[in-house]
Amino acid sequence: MRPGDLLAMSLGNYGRARLRSGLTTAGVAIGTALVVLLIALATGAEDNVRRSIFSIGDLRLVTVQPFQPGANGLSAVPRTITDDTVAKLKGVAHVDGVYRQFDAPLGMVVEGGDDATIRPQGIEPGAPIDRGDLLAGRHLEAGDRAVAVIPGNIARLVAPNVGAAIGKTVTMRVYSVKIVGVFDEQASQTSFRIPIDDALLAGAENRGLTPDGIRETTGYSGLAVEADDSINVADIVKAVQELGFSSFSLKQVVEQIDQGFGVFKGILAGIGGVALLVAAIGIANTMVMSVLERTREIGIMKAVGASPRDIRALFLAEAAYVGVFGGILGLALGLAGGQIIDRVIRQLNPRTNPAAIFVVGPDLALGALALALGVALLAGFLPARRAMRMSALSALRYE
Amino acid sequence: MNAPLAVEAVGLERNYSSGHATVAALAGVTLGIQRGEFVAVMGPSGSGKSTLLNIVAGLERPTGGTIRVDGEDLATLNEEALARHRSKRVGMVFQAFNLLPRFRVVENVALPLAFSGVPTAERLQRARAMLDRLGMTARADHRSNELSGGELQRAAIARALIGDPAILLADEPTGNLDSANGAALLALFEELHTQGQTVLLVTHDAQIASHAGRTIRMRDGRVVDE
Repeated sequence: MRPGDLLAMSLGNYGRARLRSGLTTAGVAIGTALVVLLIALATGAEDNVRRSIFSIGDLRLVTVQPFQPGANGLSAVPRTITDDTVAKLKGVAHVDGVYRQFDAPLGMVVEGGDDATIRPQGIEPGAPIDRGDLLAGRHLEAGDRAVAVIPGNIARLVAPNVGAAIGKTVTMRVYSVKIVGVFDEQASQTSFRIPIDDALLAGAENRGLTPDGIRETTGYSGLAVEADDSINVADIVKAVQELGFSSFSLKQVVEQIDQGFGVFKGILAGIGGVALLVAAIGIANTMVMSVLERTREIGIMKAVGASPRDIRALFLAEAAYVGVFGGILGLALGLAGGQIIDRVIRQLNPRTNPAAIFVVGPDLALGALALALGVALLAGFLPARRAMRMSALSALRYE
Repeated sequence: MNAPLAVEAVGLERNYSSGHATVAALAGVTLGIQRGEFVAVMGPSGSGKSTLLNIVAGLERPTGGTIRVDGEDLATLNEEALARHRSKRVGMVFQAFNLLPRFRVVENVALPLAFSGVPTAERLQRARAMLDRLGMTARADHRSNELSGGELQRAAIARALIGDPAILLADEPTGNLDSANGAALLALFEELHTQGQTVLLVTHDAQIASHAGRTIRMRDGRVVDE
């Protein structure tokens, strides 16, 4: 039998018992809509979390911390990050850059009548932390001394606006620094970015040491190691651990979140799947009825030359129509339902996060259709086989 | 070598087992039907004549003996091949017409061609031509519930002939018709026969059997008289 004839004939069969086909299709639609809604909800939540994480920082970064994870995972043992560590890390494959950081033991800024608690971070020019988030001025540059890049909230304490703060001087305890840049305080409201040599000097004077001395005894506060690509982060994390340091990378956090959301989605899909299972039982029931009702017709078709395969294909195609129509309807229902719920939530709480609550990507849309079709074919399989195996002669005698 | 017989049965047996008892519907039937013959198989009910017809049609398998239709040994065919046998080698006409009420007459007639993969336009064209040949042109686009018994059976014959079968099989074709329509139908069978169509007709009625060129009488699953 030609595929076109097959599809046309089974569409006729589908359309003949309109009410029954319609109700069965509605069952599939509801199940599909539920799966779509629940997974879209989970996807929306995941997107939101991931977006927040990406706004925190770069996935290519591995932060090296000056301690070693304890044997039992609870206690950490301090470890000194020295220039030797930096040199070794620079030699690790896929490392694009290693940026040292030294947090100066300076606390307060006194300017414009307000006190603000700040955390001066001594960093190297071009450090990942000091990139692309300026509101005014410039980032730190090589050769800078006694300058700072400060957060917008503090700049506004110093001057009427962030632009006017450039060129002003602020004093951190005894050290006066000139403001050369203002960064968006979303990154941090309390850190000052200062040249690492200034920070080392301040740290050394505080302890009565030389900058070289403090490099060897106290060591750096941390290192920012940048990978050439985020897929190589795991290798670098391993290298850091082998050197005996604890590390942190957003990439690993994202992976854990992905895993968590995978489980979450699986559970939600399972709940929606129960609805589809109920729909599948409905399809199977409809198909059994359809086969029984058309017993005589099956007999006639077989008598005039329909092969067992033709008969099976006819009934499977009929089930497939239920799946396809139910899937399309369910997808539309899920999309519309998501929109409506989204709107209702925003009406009730106008301060809701502006990001979409339900996210339906092309993979979810196609997956939902494929799922509905697959469920329908599975449900139609046994009734179709029953029709296929029916004896033509006894089917012809069936009243 | 002569062309094969239209039907050749040797020692054909068909047993039905119901519970502990075994009933022999066919108890060793041997017969041959030449191409172009019009043969009536006659016998009382339970004589096995319908079983014989169903086996020739490929609707039932024998439990013993061999059956060849148009040279093909049906025992060697699997279910798929048997379906092709039904759509290409034989055409079947039933007492109960067995048209599908939801299709138009022309679609019913074209149905066997759908299963052998003929494109829609071509099979509808061939179905109309066949209906023309049987004087059913005016009824082509009606549904089966709008037709009289005689017209239904003509449509059924058109459907049986659409695949150009080697043999036309008819099981009590006039059983549901009044005598006038029955007579017209038998005239049609005779006409088809004169056009060269091999016809095998099963009936319990000697009057009907007399229209055939040859009558095979059956009783208790055996051929008793030729």
